[in-house]
Amino acid sequence: MGTAGAGSVKKYVAVYIALLVITALEFLVGYKGEGSGLALRFLTFAIIDTILVMLFFMSLGTEKPGFIKFFVYFMLFVLATMNYVWTDSFRLLLFRLTGYMPT
Amino acid sequence: MSEAHLTMGAHSAPPMEARPFAMPSKKFAMWLFIMSDVMTFAACVAAYAFLRNATPNWPRPFHSLTNVAVMTLIMLTSSLTMLMALEAAKAADKAKAFRWMMFTAAGGVLFTLLHIRDWMGMMDQGVTLFKNPWGTAAFGAAFYSITGFSLMHIFVGTIALIVVAIRYQGGRYTADDIDLFNLFWQFIGLVWLFIVPLVYLMNVAR
Repeated sequence: MGTAGAGSVKKYVAVYIALLVITALEFLVGYKGEGSGLALRFLTFAIIDTILVMLFFMSLGTEKPGFIKFFVYFMLFVLATMNYVWTDSFRLLLFRLTGYMPT
Repeated sequence: MSEAHLTMGAHSAPPMEARPFAMPSKKFAMWLFIMSDVMTFAACVAAYAFLRNATPNWPRPFHSLTNVAVMTLIMLTSSLTMLMALEAAKAADKAKAFRWMMFTAAGGVLFTLLHIRDWMGMMDQGVTLFKNPWGTAAFGAAFYSITGFSLMHIFVGTIALIVVAIRYQGGRYTADDIDLFNLFWQFIGLVWLFIVPLVYLMNVAR
């Protein structure tokens, strides 16, 4: 367990403000945005949020490199597995938009 | 006790197993729990995305997201107050750590109440698990499943936080235990940051 310090608190507040700004942008995009790139923009925001929270709020960056690799590889595996479903969902979306019905 | 006996006793002691990643076992267990929870939420999110993309005329019922914006602000702020509690605990300032944990718990309670208010609003509009006034029945099931799973985490987490705070003040828990709980609280806050765009912002009425 490390020692407490004013530096840590300042860092947490800075990350908190960054997260607030990102979230405000997300709401702005949500209200104003339209089009096919909307999901991609939200995904980008969510990935930035994840990196900030994991590195600073959950202190993943201070763990052993072996554990970080273990965690990151696991997450990539989960996301890759999800991608299988995503791909199929976008295939169905294409069918819907084009009116194509597979026989 | 003879020297020979002491030596024999030392040799018969079970060998210490190396800790994985040189991390305390409790902390490693919490990370493993979080990783398993990531899989559960990922499955929910993937299923939701599949339904949303595959269903014609997916409803976009949200005209105002003020309630959700306030909930998000509370969740983010409670993440910060939890970190303040952790820092105070590291500095062995028990009173301050307890106070910050209570602020965090208050955030959890407020979030839960606002979440229930959000659900009541949806129910008033006729959205249930099996039907809604806008079209596909899957919308209600998907909405309540994902947000309900998140709400369950936050509600149970709030109760757990109060228990941890009381036990910490009583001297049964240490700063290490606060550190463990901080991991869980940050994780459920992060999950909410995924739910907001996916469930709410992508379904704003146009």
